Amino acid sequence: MNQTVVSYLAQYEFFDFLVNLFGKNQSLLSFLIYLIFALLIVGMCATIGGLGTYAERKISADIQARIGPNRVGPYGLLQFLADGVKMIVKEDVMPFSADKMLFYLAPILCLVGVFATLAVLPFAGGFIMTDLNVGIFYLVAISSLVGVGVFLGGYASNSKWSMLGGMRGASQIISYEIPVTISILAITLLAGGMGFGTIVGSQGGLPHQWFLLHNPFAFIAFFVYFVGALAETNRAPFDLPEAESELVSGYHTEYTGMRFGFFALAEYIEVFVVCGVAAALFLGGYNIPGLKLDLLPLQAVQFTVFMTKTLALYYVVIWVRWTFPRLRVDQLMSICWKYLTPISIFNLVGCAIWMVAFNGKSIADIIFGGH
Amino acid sequence: MFLQFLFIASAFLTLACTIAVLVTKNLMHSCVFLLGTLIGVAGLYATLGADFVAVTQIMVYMGGVVILMLFAVMLTGGKDFVSRAQTLLGLPATMGNKWTYGLGLLVGVVFLLTNVKLLSNIITTLPTAEINNDFPSTVSRLGHLLVKDHVLAFEISSVLLLGALVGAAIIARPRKHN
Amino acid sequence: MMSLASYLIISLVLFVVGLVVMIARKNIVAILLGIELILNAAALNFVAYSRYVTNNLDGHIFSLFIIVVAAAEAAVGLAIVIRFFQIKETIHIDEATQLRN
Repeated sequence: MNQTVVSYLAQYEFFDFLVNLFGKNQSLLSFLIYLIFALLIVGMCATIGGLGTYAERKISADIQARIGPNRVGPYGLLQFLADGVKMIVKEDVMPFSADKMLFYLAPILCLVGVFATLAVLPFAGGFIMTDLNVGIFYLVAISSLVGVGVFLGGYASNSKWSMLGGMRGASQIISYEIPVTISILAITLLAGGMGFGTIVGSQGGLPHQWFLLHNPFAFIAFFVYFVGALAETNRAPFDLPEAESELVSGYHTEYTGMRFGFFALAEYIEVFVVCGVAAALFLGGYNIPGLKLDLLPLQAVQFTVFMTKTLALYYVVIWVRWTFPRLRVDQLMSICWKYLTPISIFNLVGCAIWMVAFNGKSIADIIFGGH
Repeated sequence: MFLQFLFIASAFLTLACTIAVLVTKNLMHSCVFLLGTLIGVAGLYATLGADFVAVTQIMVYMGGVVILMLFAVMLTGGKDFVSRAQTLLGLPATMGNKWTYGLGLLVGVVFLLTNVKLLSNIITTLPTAEINNDFPSTVSRLGHLLVKDHVLAFEISSVLLLGALVGAAIIARPRKHN
Repeated sequence: MMSLASYLIISLVLFVVGLVVMIARKNIVAILLGIELILNAAALNFVAYSRYVTNNLDGHIFSLFIIVVAAAEAAVGLAIVIRFFQIKETIHIDEATQLRN
C-alpha cells in the first residue's frame, strides 16, 4: 500500500482530534492536508527556483572574480523577487504568425511536468506527498512532459532560432533519458523497489551505507546519472537548445514576460529535482547519520540533511556550468549513444551480477564483515 | 469519492481530446490532443488499479511516441490532405457515400447485437461484490508474471525492440547516392 | 458510474475515432496517429476486463506488450515516413504505390 503524508500523520495522537473535528467528512480532511502540503511544497520549490537564479549569478560572479547582484536586499538576496516583478509587469508579446494554442500551452506543459515530480520527491520520512510504489518510475515518466513543452515552444514560435532550439532540446531530452533511466534501474535493482521510501530506507546515514559506495558499478552509475541529468535539464555544458552564441536563446527566444519566466522557473526547479533524486538514490537521502529513527520532531533534521545534500549538488551543477565549455551537437549525441548508454547497460548487468555473487552485500559489509 | 473524481476527469479528458483529434485540421494540434488522450487513458489505468501500466503508458507515449510524431509532422510539413468535398455529417467524401454509410451502419448493428449476445453472460454475472478499492502494488506480481508465465513473449518483445531500433536507424539514414 | 460498461464505452469511442482517423485522413502520420488510438483502445479493454472479470494481472501484461509494440511500430513507421518524404517529397498515402522507386 502506498504511504502518504496523511497516513503518516495518522500515526500520531493529535490526528485523532482532527478526525473527530471533521466527523464524517474524512475525505475532506485528507484533501485539505494534501492541499496544504502541495501548496507548501510548491511554494518552497518556487522559492528555491527563484533563489537558484540568484545563486547562479552570485556563484558565477565569484568564479569570474566579480561581485554579482548586491543592490536589492541584503547581499542582493531579493534580486529574484525584483526579477519576478519585472517579468510580471512586462508586456506579453506574441509573434504575429505564431501558433496561438501551442504558444500558450508550451510553458504550462514545462511547468506542469516539473511540478508534478515534486509529489514523490522524498524531503523527509513523512514529508513526502505520496510514497508511490512506482515512485522513481513515475518521476522519470512525468518529467518527460518537459521535452514536449520545449519542442512545442520551439515549434509554435515560428522562428528559426526557436525551431532549431526546440528540435535540439527534444532530441537531447529523449536521448539522454535512456542512460539516466538505466542508471536508475541499477539502483532500483539494489534497493529492491521503485518507491522512494524503499530506496532511501535501504540505505543508511553514513557514507559507507550509501548506494554510491555500495559497489563499483553503482559508483559509475552515479556519474552517468549526473551527466545525463545535466543534459536532460539543458544545463551547461549541454545547453545547446539555448546556446546564446548560436541560437539567441533557443526555444524561448520569442517568449517574453511571465511565459519566459515559466520556462526559466521550470528549468531551475528541474535542476533542484534531479539533484534531489541524485541525493535520494545515491547519497542516502534523508537518513540522519548514525540514527535510524522516524519520529515527528526528527522530520526537521531529516529535511535539513536532505536539503544539504541536494543543495551541495546544486552548487556542483552551477560550478560545472561556469567551468566547462559547451559541446557541439554531434559530440553531444556521440557522448550519449556511444559512451553513456553502453556504460549504463554495463552498470546494470554489473549490479545484477554483484547482487547474485555477493548476496546483496555492499563493499563495506564485505570488508568489515557487516550484516 | 476521490477515485470517482479521477475517473470522471480522466474519462472527460480522454473523450474530449479524442474527438478533438478527429475534428482538428491542423496535424500538429492533433498530435497534442493525442497526448491529452494518452494521459487520460493513463488516468483510467490508474482508476483500474494498474499503476505500473499507467506509468509505462506515460513514459512510452509522452517521452517517446508523441515527440517522434511531432518530429515527423514538423519534418514533413504537416499538411493535411482532407478533401474539400464532404458528404453526410461533414465527414470527408473519401470515406464513402450514403450507400457505404448505410451498409456500415447495418454491419455495425449486427456486430453490436452479436457482441451483446455473447458478452451478456459475462456482464450480467460480474462478481461486483468482490471489487474493492484498495489497490495492492502490482509491480512485484507483474515482475513475477513477466519472468515466469510470459517469459517467451518478454524475450520476443526484446528482440522486436532491437529489430525496431536497428530497422528505424537503417531506414531513416541519409543516402548520398540518390 | 465506474463499471465495466463505462470503460468499454470509452474504449469503443477511442477505437471508432481511431478507425475514422485512419480512413478519413490521407496523411501517413495521421494514419499512424489513428493506429495509436486503436492500440490504446485495445489495451484499455484488456486492463478493464482484467479488473472486472478475471481478477488477475494477465490483462496488464497484455497491455504492457501492446505499449511495447506501439512504441516499436511508431519508431519504424515514422522512419518509413521520413524516408518516403525524402523520395517523394509528399506524404500523401495515395502516392505510395510502388514497392521500389
